[in-house]
Amino acid sequence: MRTSLLRTTAAAALAATMTLAGPALAETTLTIGMTAADIPRTSGQPDQGFEGNRFTGIPMYDALTHWDLSSETDPSVVIPGLATEWVVNPEDPTRWTFTLREGVTFHDGSPFNAEAVVWNVEKVLNDAAPHFAPDQVGATTSRMPTLRSASVIDEYTVELVTSQPDAFLPLNMTMLFMASPTHWQALYDAVDASVTDPAERAAAAWTAFASDPSGTGPFMGDLLVPRERFEMVRNPNYWDPARTPTIDRVVLVPLPDANARTAALLSGQVDWIEAPAPDAIPRIVAEGNVIYSNPQPHVWPWQFSFTEDSPWLDRRVRHAANLCVNREELQVLLGGYMGIPQGTVNEGHPWWGNPGFEITYDPDAARALMAEAGFGPDNPLEVTVQTSASGSGQMQPVTMNEYVQQSLSDCFFDVTLDVIEWNTLFTNWRQGALSDGSRGADAINVSFATMDPFFAMVRFVSTQTFPPVSNNWGYFGNDEFDALIAEARTSFDGAERDAALARLHARVVEEAPFLWVANDVGPRAMSPAVGGVVQPKSWFIDIAPMTMAE
Amino acid sequence: MLIFTARRIAYTIPIMLGVSLVCFALVHISPGDPLVSILPPDASVELQEQLMAIYGFDRSYPEQFFRWLGRALQGDLGNSIATGRPVTSEVMNAVGNTLILAVTATIIGFTLGGLFGFVAGFFRDSWIDKLASTLAVVGVSVPHYWLGMVLVIIFSVELGWFPATGAGPGGSSQWAWDWEHMSHLVLPAVTMSVIPMGIVARTVRALVADILQQEFVTGLRAKGLLDRGVLAHVIKNAAPTALAVMGLQLGYLLGGSILIETVFSWPGTGFLLGQAIFQRDLPLLQGTILVLAMFFVILNLVVDVVQSALDPRLQRG
Amino acid sequence: MAVAQTDIETLATADKPRGYWSGVGRRFLKDKVAVAAGCVAGGLILMAIFAPWVAPQDPFDGTMIRRLSPIGTEGYPLGADELGRDMLSRLIYGARLSLFMGVTPVLIAFVIGSAIGIAAGYAGGWVNSITMRVLDVFYAFPSVLLAIAISGALGAGILNGLLSLTVVFIPPIARVAESVTTAVRKLEYIEAARASGASAFTIVRAHVLGNVLGPIFVYATSLISVSMILAAGLSFLGLGVSPPNPEWGLMLNTLRNAIYVQPWLAALPGVMIFLTSISFNMLSDGLRSAMDIKQ
Repeated sequence: MRTSLLRTTAAAALAATMTLAGPALAETTLTIGMTAADIPRTSGQPDQGFEGNRFTGIPMYDALTHWDLSSETDPSVVIPGLATEWVVNPEDPTRWTFTLREGVTFHDGSPFNAEAVVWNVEKVLNDAAPHFAPDQVGATTSRMPTLRSASVIDEYTVELVTSQPDAFLPLNMTMLFMASPTHWQALYDAVDASVTDPAERAAAAWTAFASDPSGTGPFMGDLLVPRERFEMVRNPNYWDPARTPTIDRVVLVPLPDANARTAALLSGQVDWIEAPAPDAIPRIVAEGNVIYSNPQPHVWPWQFSFTEDSPWLDRRVRHAANLCVNREELQVLLGGYMGIPQGTVNEGHPWWGNPGFEITYDPDAARALMAEAGFGPDNPLEVTVQTSASGSGQMQPVTMNEYVQQSLSDCFFDVTLDVIEWNTLFTNWRQGALSDGSRGADAINVSFATMDPFFAMVRFVSTQTFPPVSNNWGYFGNDEFDALIAEARTSFDGAERDAALARLHARVVEEAPFLWVANDVGPRAMSPAVGGVVQPKSWFIDIAPMTMAE
Repeated sequence: MLIFTARRIAYTIPIMLGVSLVCFALVHISPGDPLVSILPPDASVELQEQLMAIYGFDRSYPEQFFRWLGRALQGDLGNSIATGRPVTSEVMNAVGNTLILAVTATIIGFTLGGLFGFVAGFFRDSWIDKLASTLAVVGVSVPHYWLGMVLVIIFSVELGWFPATGAGPGGSSQWAWDWEHMSHLVLPAVTMSVIPMGIVARTVRALVADILQQEFVTGLRAKGLLDRGVLAHVIKNAAPTALAVMGLQLGYLLGGSILIETVFSWPGTGFLLGQAIFQRDLPLLQGTILVLAMFFVILNLVVDVVQSALDPRLQRG
Repeated sequence: MAVAQTDIETLATADKPRGYWSGVGRRFLKDKVAVAAGCVAGGLILMAIFAPWVAPQDPFDGTMIRRLSPIGTEGYPLGADELGRDMLSRLIYGARLSLFMGVTPVLIAFVIGSAIGIAAGYAGGWVNSITMRVLDVFYAFPSVLLAIAISGALGAGILNGLLSLTVVFIPPIARVAESVTTAVRKLEYIEAARASGASAFTIVRAHVLGNVLGPIFVYATSLISVSMILAAGLSFLGLGVSPPNPEWGLMLNTLRNAIYVQPWLAALPGVMIFLTSISFNMLSDGLRSAMDIKQ
């Protein structure tokens, strides 16, 4: 990095070398340009969506369970984190026992134990707790919808209680990061005595904690310049030797503008940028940088309506649409930065389940299905899809929808696009196909993350999730699907749960309540100096094992 | 003089009150949930109500306004919803960064604009006048965010002379007047200086032309005294107005920096305002607008008082 | 973006002799720069009106194959944008929304602001004071800040953009109208008309409007340039027009991502904004000097 900071540090190190004749140690710094407009919250529960978890969550904090981010080829699954094992109470499946890793300390030196876990659950779930943090609730509790409370069993054992039997809890727990209670208390005690209201003191303590955080993760917070940069330094005492960093310092810079990110990378101001503008990628590569991408657990679909008179009620039509999009050509048009979906998850994923309907490109078969359903060149099927012009995860919605529109016209579909504003679309998604906002659309185009079974499948195919409860926009569901979901929710053995989810997924693909179009591949560009990069099939990436050439 | 100043200040107080009311109203007429930046999209009604109460959004508007105003008078603009940090310190940091940019731009704009205007006014209707006038019109007509983009294309993308974005290594917290940081300042400051340059050039040209038409100056010039005497006279008479225009321009730049700061990712008030708007962070939005508007009101006051001190004829109330 | 206005006050202090307007016309026509600017502005307006006939292609029709074609591509003389749509056609169609967004707020503000200013100026006394103090509050905001604050609070959209710009331009126009009216009101013959018992409406219509509207109009034309830049600026920030509508500010915004691929293509919409803004500015300057308002 060409920073004055580094130069001074390097010079200081050089001076030290000359006087002490020790080894020359230049600090290595990795600077990352994020897409977020602000530094994600650093106090444990990041905001700014998954980018927050990626950069101020996972590097500085650990959760009871972790995502395995060590493979480019295998699916990213849940592995032990601060908990070494977990088991559900066979008598009462709403009670879980988590066994904690021993000998882990927070960055401030205090020990990690069962009390710390309870404290971290209460920070978002117990509004009577002194350290309750209302502004962390939003980004947390919706990701662990059934978690209710926690209690200490002994120093290294903790019990978690859910509102209903929920086998997905261990996956949810990847999102609850463990912050240091001892450090928070010290900051709370240090709040100016003139502040007497306990809630205000707590808020002030959390603000102080954000500037001076303490977790158990491989990096430790060092400097927060609000809205401009956040610096972390390596934690040499991290509990997992495989993830003990070699990079001395990681600097996060918010660069919401895609151009600004590109410019920053090209000029060497940063070493790594998230989501380079696709148009700039050739230039970025031409200057020696490396692009990393891998299909993410993400689907860019059309979600069909199953309300009365919907043209999608006929399964042949839904299958025809899925067979009529040349996804490989779309991939070429997007410069290669798109994954080809085979369902909500792809072959090789534990939830895949080998469905009886293959999502592929076969226009002849599609036309045959359409003819069977009673449509033809002179009698096309008119459908309307609602989409947005932009939005998180939407990739390039207008371009892509126009492409799908064009493709489907080969199979006797006459598609109308209703392009509306992203936030409105997102609201409509929750309001359902029958709401006024949907303006009679037969399909909606909102992309979604698929890491967690509830968000990937359950919310779209359960009769319990009809609008406005959740995102089953098109009112798809029946007893068969409800039974499959209940089975998965109550299969507490990991392998059994995955098998149940695979049966659910196979049926979802066969019934095709979606037109699966694309997976996002999350491109990021890095300077060649960054080494040891593994881009997993995940929204996240592990900075800890990376290296930085000087 | 004192009476004038006192009257002018007394007149400013109701304006300030009005400005704070407008700031408050502006933000609260806006549709949408004030907690949208921290609430999950699938938040339950209870959670929403609970948080509304915690942040005080369940109170009546007058109550919210007077609480906010009361605290604002003590320098407390509340906490940002998105980050939980105090708005006052966020805004003040940003104001510092914008001042670096705006003051630099004003100095560039005033120097160049004054020079162009002066030359143009002195040699009225010569080619140099036409050139300077054209430059002045271009200055006030060019969409500065586009100019910024063009400068980035030329000097960052094509030539690679200056960095395209940011406030330099270490961000504003480590701002220093060394080349490493100032190279980040060059493009945004030049872009920003174009408007004041155009306006100052137009003003100075008119002023100079006016003064030169005064009889005794014409007399001096007729005697061939196109020298220091005339020059000094012109400068002395044009300076107060030109300085006043410059003061007001500084105010406009402070308040209008959002487009340029967006183009260059400069961490100032405009950038902050953009974030507050897009995150719907009401306390931050309110606070930023209020501080910028107050700066402008106070700057107007100072310009008026200083100008009338230089030219007592203006003290007419 | 302050537009000097005190000079305009001087204009109305003398009643204009007959033949004044023909003199203005003559002087204006002699000013080659102003005439040229007028032609460009008129041409842009005609282009906007007749866009469907002038544009060679459909501005919404794109394909990925033509994506970001450079300037000079056959059949696409100004290239194609990020969705492969013809730039030339989009720039031509863009004139519609861009001019609409730029000119409408000034027109509405001209009507409302003049009405407020003339009423306040004619009424005088406390009505005047209160009106002007209220306007002073809005005047206390830098124009860019006020426009962005309002449309930022209301959210993106054409109507919100128009509304915010109109609010921005009412106070300055009302101020000019008020000061000109106040000056006119003090003229002897109007005092005489009032003494003779003519109704306020008659006096305003017969004597005040004729003297006052001209200078306010000239002032308003100078605001069009500011308004164009601001309106496109709102879209540039994502607060005005929404895609896929062609509008220059928005086009500039979306094409910014392409500055590493087709930098000069990306800069084209800005050229249009600049051209419009500068021609209105020069036109306004020409009118001003033709009407002998001191600069």
